[in-house]
Amino acid sequence: MLKNYFKIAIAVLKRRKFFTFISLFGISFTLTILMVATAFMDKMLSPSYPDYKRNRSLYITSVALVNSKEGWYNGSSASFYLLDHYVSKLKIPEKIGIFTFSGKANAYVNNKKVVMEYKYTDAAYWEIAEYQFLEGKPYTKQQIDNMERVAVISESNKRNYFGDIKSVLGKYIEADNVSYRVIGVVRDLPRSMRNFYGDLYLPYSIIKGNYKDVGLQGGFGAVLLAKSEADVPKMKAEYQQMISKVPTNNKDYDKIYVNADTMLESMSRKLFGNEDSAGISKMIAIVSLFILLFLLLPTINLVNINITRIMERSSEIGVRKAFGASSRTLVYQFIVENVILTLLGGVIGVFLSIVCIFLFNQSNILPNLDLSLNFTVLLFGLLICLFFGLLSGVYPAWRMSRLNVVNALKAQ
Amino acid sequence: MFKHLFKLSWNKRKQNFLFLSEILVSFMVIFAVFSLLTFYYLNYTLPKGFESERVWSIAYSRNVKINDNDSLRMYYENIRRTLKAVPEIEELSFSSSNFPYSNSHSTTGFTYKGKEMSPINNYSVEDDYNKVLGIKLLEGRWFNKEDLNQKSVVINQTLKQAMFGDEPAAGKIVGADKEEDKWKVIGVVADVKAEGDFWPAGKSFYKRLDTGSFKWVGDILLKVSPKADAAFESRLNKLLARMIQNSNTEIRHMEDTRESKNSDTIIPMIICITIAGFLIINVALGLFGVLWYNINQRRGEIGLRRAIGATGSSVSFQLVSESLMLATLSIIVGSFFALQFPLLNVFNVAASVYIIALLLSIAFIYLLVILCSLYPGKQAAAIRPAIALHEE
Repeated sequence: MLKNYFKIAIAVLKRRKFFTFISLFGISFTLTILMVATAFMDKMLSPSYPDYKRNRSLYITSVALVNSKEGWYNGSSASFYLLDHYVSKLKIPEKIGIFTFSGKANAYVNNKKVVMEYKYTDAAYWEIAEYQFLEGKPYTKQQIDNMERVAVISESNKRNYFGDIKSVLGKYIEADNVSYRVIGVVRDLPRSMRNFYGDLYLPYSIIKGNYKDVGLQGGFGAVLLAKSEADVPKMKAEYQQMISKVPTNNKDYDKIYVNADTMLESMSRKLFGNEDSAGISKMIAIVSLFILLFLLLPTINLVNINITRIMERSSEIGVRKAFGASSRTLVYQFIVENVILTLLGGVIGVFLSIVCIFLFNQSNILPNLDLSLNFTVLLFGLLICLFFGLLSGVYPAWRMSRLNVVNALKAQ
Repeated sequence: MFKHLFKLSWNKRKQNFLFLSEILVSFMVIFAVFSLLTFYYLNYTLPKGFESERVWSIAYSRNVKINDNDSLRMYYENIRRTLKAVPEIEELSFSSSNFPYSNSHSTTGFTYKGKEMSPINNYSVEDDYNKVLGIKLLEGRWFNKEDLNQKSVVINQTLKQAMFGDEPAAGKIVGADKEEDKWKVIGVVADVKAEGDFWPAGKSFYKRLDTGSFKWVGDILLKVSPKADAAFESRLNKLLARMIQNSNTEIRHMEDTRESKNSDTIIPMIICITIAGFLIINVALGLFGVLWYNINQRRGEIGLRRAIGATGSSVSFQLVSESLMLATLSIIVGSFFALQFPLLNVFNVAASVYIIALLLSIAFIYLLVILCSLYPGKQAAAIRPAIALHEE
């Protein structure tokens, strides 16, 4: 039976090439945009270099002080004191990595300006983030305690600062007039990895200025790593309990908000949430509304064309009905035909997406961000295809099944 | 004529329903895109309000361990003197971190005669700030030594218009109701588009940095001479590192930050236009297909019209106007929704932006429908009455 439907569907597609082209164009283009967008989202949210343990990590990125009476708000990142004195006392996390958010420093090599983003970290950071070392290795706790001026640099920083030389281990790199001995070179990562991005990684003990101040806000962030994914809720609960006991020590503010969020939570909190709620449900609602609106136009277009094509086949429908085919069979047949059409459009869409993603990766608009069409994205694309096929097939099929036999045959 | 066309469309309202909704949705999409483009374009045509060429910014971290206000001031005044003595540096001013294109914001707000004025950009500047950036003075004067410990403020044109209209602003008192928040306007400056070339300046409030502010100020703006090159920048960086102890300093060129600020607007805009463009091509092809098919369905009717004396061009004119009739219905409904934007003042954008966008989208939809129905109309004109009626 299905084979028959398939044959008919192909025959119909061949009959009116212009209409087929319009349908396929609409489906494949819409799908391409959605697939490229999901590839982006996938890259942002799922584990990728160097943050492969994302599924069992929580991130502390901001500290907000609030005066609930006056409505004052003061937001910043966390202080070393808060992370070292309170957060690092937690029992459940397997490891806790502390780092600063990157700042920029200038260096001048042969009168050429090199801008590097420097980042101070502790030793555990290197165990949590799995950087790929092209040469050398990270600094150890011992080196941090000794306040050694050592640095791990990124591949692009090596190229910009030292030029095309093979090994830079043991050489000195100068930033803001301080020299650091290079002990490692890591592969580049995209700028979108806000917690991990840097060109020059330094031990936190050699920070300029005083980082040990007793206060809650400073330039630091932390990543908490649980032993397994199942431990994450437990770790979060322990964290919440601990943080609720931290005093503000500041007469102007009576409340502090320091959230340990998963990647998805911290993203939605930034866009749609506030201190109290991460706004995940709000994000899902807004994103799905947007996708629905985006799909509306191609769908109406497809329904329109489908109706036109179906009315063209009124004589065929009339004959089949006259010979006793039930409305249900006809509806079923038409939906199958339509799904075949959309799947065909889907295949073209996948092909177009691969081309788009390839072009995007080549263009280097966002350096080091290599999108890929992975299994999740493909599955998502397939689902959209089926959804499309059903949505644009049901209404025309229903209209068709109500055709009167006499009128349908007379139209001939 | 119109009555006749309307009757024809009304009789087929069921078939036309999808056609109508498709035009309606595309109209809304086009309206959104045109609103965005009009907004950007109108802002782009406004003058920048200052000169970003040869302006460099220096950001430094404040790690100096001096707690006493006076000594701190001495320390930074010394830096100022040293920098001033460098021949390549023409002008120099300390500034709060929200100088143009810096991605940093500080806002304030108050109500004036019952009108809400917030948000107002709050800039903290020095006496030479206007010389560094070349800001044009429209009324009154810029800050000078007399303003020491005075509550003087310079406002920009937009804020002046919002508060005083066309009256002169110099000498007026503005601010919140509390006595310590009263400020005396001493001058009005031209709007400075600090958010990039595509964004409006907004309302701005310039205050003079007071003597205690070196505790929190972390930026210096420089106007350098044309001779300043990379070698000079390297020397300057060394000099700064020597003078400002224990600090990370970053020198940026305002032309570069301007470019990156503009590309923050341009790249999403290009993505938007591309997606909307593809949607429109999609819709256009769909409309074209449906109209073409409809005309083939109406061969009998058209044949009859030709037989009783209609010319080919009048038949094709009729078909094109039928589609335009349908488009008009959608546009009326769409305009009803679109007009809510200026009426409700959504996103705080000037009504003129929405009106221009509305007119553009109406013209665009008509053009689209005409283009899509022209060829099917021509086909209809070519129908020979004898053949068409013979088929019937």
